[in-house]
Amino acid sequence: MANDTAVRVAPARFRIPSKLFPYLLSLPALLVCIGILIPFFTAVWFSLQRYRLSQPWNRGMNWGENYLNFLTDPSFWNTLQVSLVYAALTVGLELLLGLGIALLLQKRTRFNNFISIMLLLPLMTAPALAALMFKLMTNPNFGILSYFAQVLGFENMRWGSDPSTALLTVVLVDIWVYTPFIMILLLAGLRSLPTQPFEAAALDGVPRLQQFWRITLPMLLPYILTASLFRLLDSIQQFDIIYAMTQGGPGDRLMVFQVEAYLNFFQSTNVGRSAALLLILWAITFFLSNLFIKNWLRLRERARGEA
Amino acid sequence: MSGIQIKSLTKTYKSDAVLDDISLEVPEGKTLALFGPSGAGKTVLLRCIAGAVEPEAGQIILNGMDVSGLPPEERNLGMAFQNFALFPHMSAEENIASPLKARKSTRDQISTAVRRVTELLKIDHVLGHAPKELSNGQKQRTALARALIAEPDILLLDDPLRNVDAKLRFEMRLELPRLLSGRGATVIYVTQDYKEAMALGDTIAVLDGGHITQIGSPEDVYLRPANTAIASLFGDPVINLLDVVPERDESGIFVMLSDQKVHLNSGYDAAVGREAIIGLRPESLRFANEGIPVEIEAETPFNEKIVTLTQTKRGREIIVSRPAGTDAPSTGTACIAVEGTSAVLFDRKNGERIVPASDEKEQAA
Amino acid sequence: MHHYSPLERVLRGVALTAIVIFFMFPIFWIVLMSLQTNETILRSPPSMVFEPTFSNYAAIIAGRLDSNVASMGIEFMNNLMNSIILSVGSVTVALILGVPAAYAFARHKFRGSEDIAFTLLSFRFAPPLLVLLPLTMYFQQIGLADTYLGLIWVYQLICLPLILWIVRGYFEDIPQDIEHAYRIAGHSWFATFRKIALPLAGPGIAAAALLAFIFAWNNFIFALVLASADKQPVTVGALAFVTASGIQYGQIAAAVVLSITPTLALALYAQRYLVEGLSLGAVKG
Repeated sequence: MANDTAVRVAPARFRIPSKLFPYLLSLPALLVCIGILIPFFTAVWFSLQRYRLSQPWNRGMNWGENYLNFLTDPSFWNTLQVSLVYAALTVGLELLLGLGIALLLQKRTRFNNFISIMLLLPLMTAPALAALMFKLMTNPNFGILSYFAQVLGFENMRWGSDPSTALLTVVLVDIWVYTPFIMILLLAGLRSLPTQPFEAAALDGVPRLQQFWRITLPMLLPYILTASLFRLLDSIQQFDIIYAMTQGGPGDRLMVFQVEAYLNFFQSTNVGRSAALLLILWAITFFLSNLFIKNWLRLRERARGEA
Repeated sequence: MSGIQIKSLTKTYKSDAVLDDISLEVPEGKTLALFGPSGAGKTVLLRCIAGAVEPEAGQIILNGMDVSGLPPEERNLGMAFQNFALFPHMSAEENIASPLKARKSTRDQISTAVRRVTELLKIDHVLGHAPKELSNGQKQRTALARALIAEPDILLLDDPLRNVDAKLRFEMRLELPRLLSGRGATVIYVTQDYKEAMALGDTIAVLDGGHITQIGSPEDVYLRPANTAIASLFGDPVINLLDVVPERDESGIFVMLSDQKVHLNSGYDAAVGREAIIGLRPESLRFANEGIPVEIEAETPFNEKIVTLTQTKRGREIIVSRPAGTDAPSTGTACIAVEGTSAVLFDRKNGERIVPASDEKEQAA
Repeated sequence: MHHYSPLERVLRGVALTAIVIFFMFPIFWIVLMSLQTNETILRSPPSMVFEPTFSNYAAIIAGRLDSNVASMGIEFMNNLMNSIILSVGSVTVALILGVPAAYAFARHKFRGSEDIAFTLLSFRFAPPLLVLLPLTMYFQQIGLADTYLGLIWVYQLICLPLILWIVRGYFEDIPQDIEHAYRIAGHSWFATFRKIALPLAGPGIAAAALLAFIFAWNNFIFALVLASADKQPVTVGALAFVTASGIQYGQIAAAVVLSITPTLALALYAQRYLVEGLSLGAVKG
């Protein structure tokens, strides 16, 4: 075209190309990310080694041996069992309790809101400190729970220090801390449900118990799933409560994955076994977190759509 | 070379071409009304010009400068958004003053300019309000004031009247041409309302499915729409489109409508015998003693008009519109007189207008 | 909507009372305990009647514990200070790193953006020891072992994903046209980020920061693995205190109360953001 010659070009001046902006902005976060990925791969490498801090001369690659040894290692099977039982018990009980409380508090009254805020407090307590609180409460000399147990006829109930009640004790702490988490998620979910199906059901004279099974529960399912998966992810790798309460004892009664790995590393200095244990735990959480993220994204989209 | 020139602009989203090879030119100081149905790509085109969206290919030349790759803040233009896009955490005054603040004007210059533009737009009494305290009309004027205050050479208005009530829209439609022409700015005005396009545009560009389907004067687009889609978009009530096959006898070229000959302009020789569509504006039709016999189906007042839906013997529907207050049969049968010379003819295969020979000569000149 | 029969009313009341007692009692009891001397604590049967004393708190704040047997120093105030340094430092760093990244993820769907965002999120769910154990060795080599800087870096494991995912949602909620309008008005990219995006996402950033602070404060395992006594926060410090002081139950209780008060107070203050933050935006509060 004739007027092309007349077109000026924008004055040349240094500009960061706009395509680079997002990378520049996320670069620092990215570096931290990489800083975390390096130890992760180091852990993978350690897990393939015969590596004890106390025997540096004996260090060397043994490839899958650490993992193969687990097959015949009763303490590994104990760890796996205790971790799974702990996760199943805590999440199951917290779900039942949390759902129950959420249903009780469903109506938006000032009183219910006050209670639901108060119930946040255990969740905001550091789990390690919560364990400490319960440790004091179960102290045989002055613990209030020990006293109650005594009143109820359980003489010499030794809570965390007794193999038969240790699991119950840490599960109790976990329930105390984390039930509110499930409760507030389900409460928010309950309160966001559409009201029409319930009104229609009430008009049709559907009994309330049936309404619960046929309407409430199915509609609440995405929230229940997200909350349970989230808790399962945390619970399977619980460390704080158990370590603060009994350090995995008595004996190996509470040797869940992370406690076992921690003690392997720092007490028996068996780095290779510790890393292999953690990688197995990582594989479990990776599987669960993929499930969780899928659910979470779907809920997040929905929540953002409502806002 | 001043004004706006756009050459072969292309923008795709996920391999869908939103803008496909768009070329446009708006001479300095003129207003181009960019008209099209929603989803046609109008807003994307404006954003490309403003620099908010980067096109894949093509050139944008503003006042003789190729702005490709230039960020929005260096393009020196004003833009009003359809949703107003006011800064919610700033007062109306801060909103309006922000282009001048960016240009490092002095406090005095800013307050003078704010006063001038807000008095002109009659919002000087709400300057201290936050956007959420403003009515829609005030929001729209604030957005407009913000676009105008720095007196940019290029003004982009993205359907600014879309979200305001009918009364205000009417007022602004009268007011805007004065506001715009007084400043000598080159304007692109996006709208979905053909009346707005015709009232405000020196030129109208019709954008449909990412293509410019017609560029012309308002009169051109109305009287000589490039295809049936444009013909249907321009005009309310909508144009009557009837399938016909033009014929010729000793009296000239005509089409048959309900056994009545309707004569067309000379110059449609090429259309004879082709499957065609005739476009008849409802306001070009009137009830008469003779003409096409129709059954009156319904009648409804529409703005200042009365619109009558009728049906021919063969079941084809024809809409007739007449000014309110004029007399006409409202039930039973009647006859419609057709002025064939104002009719437009389209090719039935692709919907394109069949250009009569007389027009071709005009266009060539 | 529905009416409750009298029986239901009673049952609901009983259930709610039981729930409130179960969840509130431990906090209530530890506060009571912290106001008692060892003698009243050890009374049997336990009684609510006692003369409150602040001597436990005074001893902790003074850093000296005088019993009739001996006198020993308490490092607990030092732990409290460490908790403050670590939590404030971690949240500050997480904000500096996370907010720009959250903005980038919200506004520019660039190649790999989702992958990076998910990798960061997956840290939240990976076993922390997996990263911590090799890190102890690296930290020894590069001199970050037992430094605040090293700890704050590791704390990003919990703070950064939280900030990133919550703040990202808030940025996404700002209509993009508002930012376009500001730039077209003639402001640079950075001015737009500072004057439009940051103020409009302000409440979200504050909420995320508060939540990140709470999680950083409550963390136990990072400091247990990586910090020596003089860098330990209250979570680890309180446990060490139990081992050290053994039978000074009143002081232990006071230490626990001092340790949990900041997060509980913040939680009450920010409770309306908590629901959304805890679920990373999956549930609106």
